[in-house]
Amino acid sequence: MAGHLRCLIADRLRRFEPGVLLCLALIAVLVFLVAGPMVRLLISSVQETETGRLTLANYRDAYGSLHCLRALVNSLKLGLGVAFLAGVLGIPIAWAVSRTDMPAKSFVRFMVLGAFIIPPYLGAIGWILLAGPNSGWLNRAWMSLAGTDHGVFNIYSMTGLIVVVGLSSFPFVFVATNSALDLVSSEMEDAANILGAGALRTTIRVTLPVVLPAILGGLIVSFLEAIALFGAPAMIALPARFHVVATQLWQFFEYPARVEEAAAYSLPLLLITVLMLWLQRVLTGRRGYIAVTGKGGERRMVRLGRWRWGMLLYALVVAALSLLLPVSVLLHAAFAKAWGRGFSLGNLTLGNFRYLLYEQSQAQQAIVNTFLYAGASAFVAIGLSLAAAYVVSRRLVRWSNSLDLLCMAPLVIPGIVLAIGFYSAYAAPPFALYGSAVIMILAFTVRFLPIAYTSTSAGLRSINPEVEEAVRILGGSRLTAIARVLAPLLKRSLAGAWIMVFIAAARELSTAILLVTPDTRVISVVLLDLSEEGNFEVLAALGTILLAVSMAIAAVGSRVIGRDFMLHRG
Amino acid sequence: MPANVARREILKCGSAAFALAAVVGTPRAASAAPSGSIGDLYQAAKREGELTWYTAHCDDATAQAVGHGFEALYPGIRVSVMRTTAQVAFQRVSQELKAGALQVDVLSSSDVGHYAWLKERKLLERFEPENAGKVLDAYQHYDPDGYYFVTAAALVGMASNTARVRQGEAPRNWSELADPKWKDRIAVGHPGFSGYVGIWAVMMRKLYGWRFFESLASNNPQIGRSINDAITLLNAGERSLAATALVGTAAESAQKGNPLAMIYPSDGTVLILAPTGIVKGVRHPNAARLFVEYLLSVEASRIWADRFFEPIRPEVAPSAGVKSGREIKTIRPSAEEIVRGIPEVTRQWRDTFGV
Repeated sequence: MAGHLRCLIADRLRRFEPGVLLCLALIAVLVFLVAGPMVRLLISSVQETETGRLTLANYRDAYGSLHCLRALVNSLKLGLGVAFLAGVLGIPIAWAVSRTDMPAKSFVRFMVLGAFIIPPYLGAIGWILLAGPNSGWLNRAWMSLAGTDHGVFNIYSMTGLIVVVGLSSFPFVFVATNSALDLVSSEMEDAANILGAGALRTTIRVTLPVVLPAILGGLIVSFLEAIALFGAPAMIALPARFHVVATQLWQFFEYPARVEEAAAYSLPLLLITVLMLWLQRVLTGRRGYIAVTGKGGERRMVRLGRWRWGMLLYALVVAALSLLLPVSVLLHAAFAKAWGRGFSLGNLTLGNFRYLLYEQSQAQQAIVNTFLYAGASAFVAIGLSLAAAYVVSRRLVRWSNSLDLLCMAPLVIPGIVLAIGFYSAYAAPPFALYGSAVIMILAFTVRFLPIAYTSTSAGLRSINPEVEEAVRILGGSRLTAIARVLAPLLKRSLAGAWIMVFIAAARELSTAILLVTPDTRVISVVLLDLSEEGNFEVLAALGTILLAVSMAIAAVGSRVIGRDFMLHRG
Repeated sequence: MPANVARREILKCGSAAFALAAVVGTPRAASAAPSGSIGDLYQAAKREGELTWYTAHCDDATAQAVGHGFEALYPGIRVSVMRTTAQVAFQRVSQELKAGALQVDVLSSSDVGHYAWLKERKLLERFEPENAGKVLDAYQHYDPDGYYFVTAAALVGMASNTARVRQGEAPRNWSELADPKWKDRIAVGHPGFSGYVGIWAVMMRKLYGWRFFESLASNNPQIGRSINDAITLLNAGERSLAATALVGTAAESAQKGNPLAMIYPSDGTVLILAPTGIVKGVRHPNAARLFVEYLLSVEASRIWADRFFEPIRPEVAPSAGVKSGREIKTIRPSAEEIVRGIPEVTRQWRDTFGV
């Protein structure tokens, strides 16, 4: 018996691979990073603040007040409004770019990419300068044209907020729809045409239904982004006299801070997100959409005739609203002594940049921090997701799917909720990470792990394991295979993922807002502080720096990776 | 003032060498040759090398100027200035206390309630600044036990955009804010963010009851966060009348060419005593003490006066550009009224205004 057992152990040991060890270490790290904060959040939500005793009072307090419930309703309104608007803006353009002979397609694509890079809070500031009820440029133009003393646009309203957030999140719908449409061949459309349907009817009854799951996926993502935002609502909803969940959550951190109540209040946000993603999975997982399974088949462009100019005009209007107008007013403010004074040589100055870089004791450090943390978290996220994706795709261990789950789980965690989780779990001793760069980098890593994981695992799946097996047959170790064969093959998708995470982390506000300390401040948080006192000129200057660096990195990315950069999601 | 402006200009050029030369060159540097216990404190502080100052006492530019003033006076110690609203500053401190990782060294909140809360939990450091007894009598012994000190004083009145409000049309006292002619024209800060606005709200409630705010609400004011936000809205032409205007910020803004006029209400301009304290267990205790000494010094008072704030030292005359609390009628709630009042008015505010 004992001999048999010894034999069994020896057998196991012989087959034991370093891969298993790697896998165990990986799971430990992911549990620490992803599961830890969330479990801690759940526990906090049923604890008493001072004593730590078990209680349900946090839930009672968090939902007992009318304000909190109203904020929840507002968040839902915002999410639905944004998803609707993102659809209206994103779907036609995606269709036009993918399926029609609309002119200037690559320019339109470039504009959408640009809109993607603008963080919603900068868009919000741009739109405050454009559509402030009395002082916004658009309203002033209207007032002088129509000769009235009242503007037509009021940014400080729910509609205003929906427009601002919708304009910054329609690229999600565009990307999802566009990449699905790119895979649909024209055969079914031809069939419809032969049976007598016109181009419009075919598009509405055939083409779009085929990619419906992808569209819904995009709409859900923009819904989720909208309800998780903090910055844009803080700047617009407050003057408009309403709260959303994220701004309400922030209030729990007022003195005396009620982290436990915040934890309780943040759970529905988490639940809604889980529900939505489940819905998306059900929808996209449905069978019967085999038309979208591969690139086969001929694709012909729909001829729009005269309408192609109309379509282009629509795309340009969207580009103007989402990118050109807000960026130009931001640039104007960044180089203006006082933005309200308008365009004149006398109003031009570099003073805002000089103030930021030489007098303000925080901005310089914040700029360095931002790009340092974004770069570091991109590396960590890529490293983790590459290892996890490898273990999963090569099925190194039987329970490798748990890794898949852990890597994708942060998708359901809104940034501010993640921050509360990180704060409760790792701020205090024994970890004592509060105030360190580490907690910021780790939080960003977790927040954007799904982005990195999706693209690395898609890249890995496209590589046939035989390539690797060849190395092993020739006597190379698994590590040699990874380092010498896989990594070079994956170079482009890894670089693409790195840039995506970098840009997302550099602009991230809601995760940072509760974790920053004086030494670890990042641009987004400095921007928020500057917005408190309405210091728009300096704020715009700092925003310009952020945008310039992000755009430069994205430009390098699209150079290296080509047309598909950022516009294909796994 | 000229020496100070020159220094500011030079710092703008970003040349540390020039800045240093300017400091050595000013006659003030001679008087700053530290002696006695402040000198010992300076030596100890220099070994710590830096400090972090959370302040809600003024706008960002003024706070940075005060910080640079300290660095010029005490070379070798870097000040990291975190300017934010009082409630956000305190939120950060309480997060740090909870995590057991203090980042703050010197806390300058404008809400005295924060110090009361900290003192009650024995979280404030007690010490006797040499300069504490040298400020104007009105600013001494704010805390009888010596845990926190008035280091800045400011006036809160109203301000109007002169391009949009005719002379003579502007309100003369607080209760005129209820006049329907101001509908959609008023800008105001938020007591849930700004300590100054909180103290102002406590005072208004004391004078006119909560009804004051209900009539204000019917005029649909635009609510910002910081007290300074109201001035920005006036400058932009978004609103025409600031119901909460910090004299310093408004005057500085007017100096830059914005069409602003201060209003000192006949029923009293709100005088705010802005306290500073050191939280127990900070990372740079000596630098923190030295900084509090500095805030109470003639040098700091000069910078504040340059920026149109009330100088707290008798040696320094108030700026000629604005009226001083020494010459007009001022009103202020007591420390106890503020401690009790701010959480109450914030709650009431949220009920009345919805945010």
